[in-house]
Amino acid sequence: MDLTVQIGRSELYNPLGVASGTFGYGSEYEKLIDLNRIGALYTKAVTPEPRPGNEIPRIVETPSGMLNSIGLANVGLQRFISDKLPFLKSVPSAVIVNVAGSEERDYFTVVETLAAEDAIWGWEINLSCPNVKCGGLALGTDPEQVRMLTASLRRLTEKPVIVKLTPNVTDITTIARAAEDGGADAVSCINTLVGMLIDTDRQRTVLPGATGGLSGPAVLPVGLAAVYRVSRAVRIPVIGVGGILEPDHALQYLLAGAAAIQIGTANFIDPSIHQRVLEAIEQYAAQHEVRSIAEFGRLLR
Amino acid sequence: MPAMARYLTAVLQNRPIAEDFYELQFNWPSQAPAPKPGQFLTIRTSQSSVPLLRRPFAFSRYDHEDGSARIIYKVRGAATAQLAGKRPFDAVDVLAPLGKPFPLPDSETRPILVAGGIGIGPILFLARALHAHSPALRLIVGARTAAGLPSQLSGEYGEVIACTDDGSFGHSGTVIDALRSYLSTTTLSTNSGESVLYLCGPEPMLAGGHRLALECGITAYVAVEQTMGCAVGACMGCAVRVLGPERYARACTEGPVFDSRLIDWRE
Ligand SMILES: Cc1cc2nc3c(=O)[nH]c(=O)nc-3n(C[C@H](O)[C@H](O)[C@H](O)COP(=O)(O)OP(=O)(O)OC[C@H]3O[C@@H](n4cnc5c(N)ncnc54)[C@H](O)[C@@H]3O)c2cc1C
Ligand SMILES: Cc1cc2nc3c(=O)[nH]c(=O)nc-3n(C[C@H](O)[C@H](O)[C@H](O)COP(=O)(O)O)c2cc1C
Ligand code: FES
Repeated sequence: MDLTVQIGRSELYNPLGVASGTFGYGSEYEKLIDLNRIGALYTKAVTPEPRPGNEIPRIVETPSGMLNSIGLANVGLQRFISDKLPFLKSVPSAVIVNVAGSEERDYFTVVETLAAEDAIWGWEINLSCPNVKCGGLALGTDPEQVRMLTASLRRLTEKPVIVKLTPNVTDITTIARAAEDGGADAVSCINTLVGMLIDTDRQRTVLPGATGGLSGPAVLPVGLAAVYRVSRAVRIPVIGVGGILEPDHALQYLLAGAAAIQIGTANFIDPSIHQRVLEAIEQYAAQHEVRSIAEFGRLLR
Repeated sequence: MPAMARYLTAVLQNRPIAEDFYELQFNWPSQAPAPKPGQFLTIRTSQSSVPLLRRPFAFSRYDHEDGSARIIYKVRGAATAQLAGKRPFDAVDVLAPLGKPFPLPDSETRPILVAGGIGIGPILFLARALHAHSPALRLIVGARTAAGLPSQLSGEYGEVIACTDDGSFGHSGTVIDALRSYLSTTTLSTNSGESVLYLCGPEPMLAGGHRLALECGITAYVAVEQTMGCAVGACMGCAVRVLGPERYARACTEGPVFDSRLIDWRE
């Protein structure tokens, strides 16, 4: 079957991506995972300045999931270019830079500075970060801001712009449509859900900042519903992410209408997941006479 | 650093060695790099999503001859309870070897090894590795009560100073109390530079060891513990506070062994 995925004017050689923040800058997994299997490598969020990240502890397990409060810890733009890009130039996968910031300007800086880098295939715009100008509210919760930011970024780059949607909104389809109106080539959903745990012995929240982002199998149904609804609300491709731990979860995303998928938390748990997912996709396609990834969505009755 | 990989291997033995403590021995694949003291592995204890994350454990022993490796673990929650249920021939899913090992002392330096609680595994591994070369090695091991101390400590590692918080065995008090009195009864504190501390255990113990090392002007290496996500340096989840502009270091790849002077010991 044809595994390729068309996004904007560009192509991914297969639909399998590794989600931002769970795969570092690629080199960390070089020895463990055959990068030839990875169609798209989404980097850890890149912000203009380095960020040390949040207070510790930053991770805690939840029923069938985990909460993280990494806080966009990243090396910043300059060290991304000097230390991380050289390796990324050598990977077969499409390198997609996850762009983040605390105000619009930060997004422009990252995209403008990196726009001419051939090694970069495209951008994933992380709109889930708290926005200082919005009084700490995530940028991605206001449709008009999403449309304007997407449109501004669209003017800065020829490369595919993927807007990553937060599930922490009343209606994710309105945000998806705003991204489409702004000129996004695709949307990816979902980012993590706001969650928390309390230590009853210590009478404190487990994470020092009270809340964190929930990921892992616990969020699978939320991600599937988001992809199902968003893919029926927009004409651009929808990339499904959230909770994939088994090949069947990936197939569910494709049936829900996803044009491609991302594996996040499962990278930590099962280094064989990528191969197993690809095998399952090909096997399922053969069984159901599907010739391309796009046809999966039509199977759902 | 030899490459880590994921191995599906098999349990050889899994036996209780103290109250709530077990030693798991498993096949060490011949193609895998030899683990070193201070390095760790992660285990996926369940094929389901509960518990979800792999859990990190330090190597406690490696035997090249019979191709086996071991960990010593304490049953604390779901993953370690599942581990305690493993029987010989059961599969174990490991990612290893991970992290930086303890830097070894030169032949002139006297190593003093200190273990508390779940820190026992890596310290025994180091003691075994150093014993042949450093006859002057000292091993200080502590637990809350006598029942928490592994039974087979003596002999193999030279003279062992055992302590219990409740005084039910060996010295009464913490390993840091024992370390302080040991350091003061030897000439070490005046002969600085000739000894080096290796510590693994709860954070207050590591902080206490660090302060003593500073007082005596000697180096202390500590193996720290932090909740992990990826264990390969990708997620920034296992951050520990360090001094310097970066503010955090990753326990999984920059550690778990650190020179104690690099750590930000607040509180
Ligand atoms: C580098 C390193 C080496 C370690 N070596 C040993 C060892 O040799 N022997 C030993 O008994 N224990 C060791 N630990 C601790 C061990 O990982 C935890 O005891 C284990 O994860 C508990 O899991 P659980 O499901 O049984 O308990 P849970 O109920 O999940 O947790 C009990 C406690 O374990 C810790 N913990 C939970 N999840 C994780 C995680 N994903 N990563 C790290 N810590 C976690 C937390 O402090 C928690 O409070 C080590 C930890 C690290 C980071
Ligand atoms: C430790 C961790 C760090 C993450 N960092 C980022 C990030 O920097 N930018 C981003 O857009 N999403 C980030 N995410 C969200 C993931 O990319 C993904 O959307 C989410 O985890 C759901 O997928 P999963 O259930 O497969 O993990 C992070 C997730 C985790 C677990
Ligand atoms: S556990 Fe992911 S960086 Fe250390």
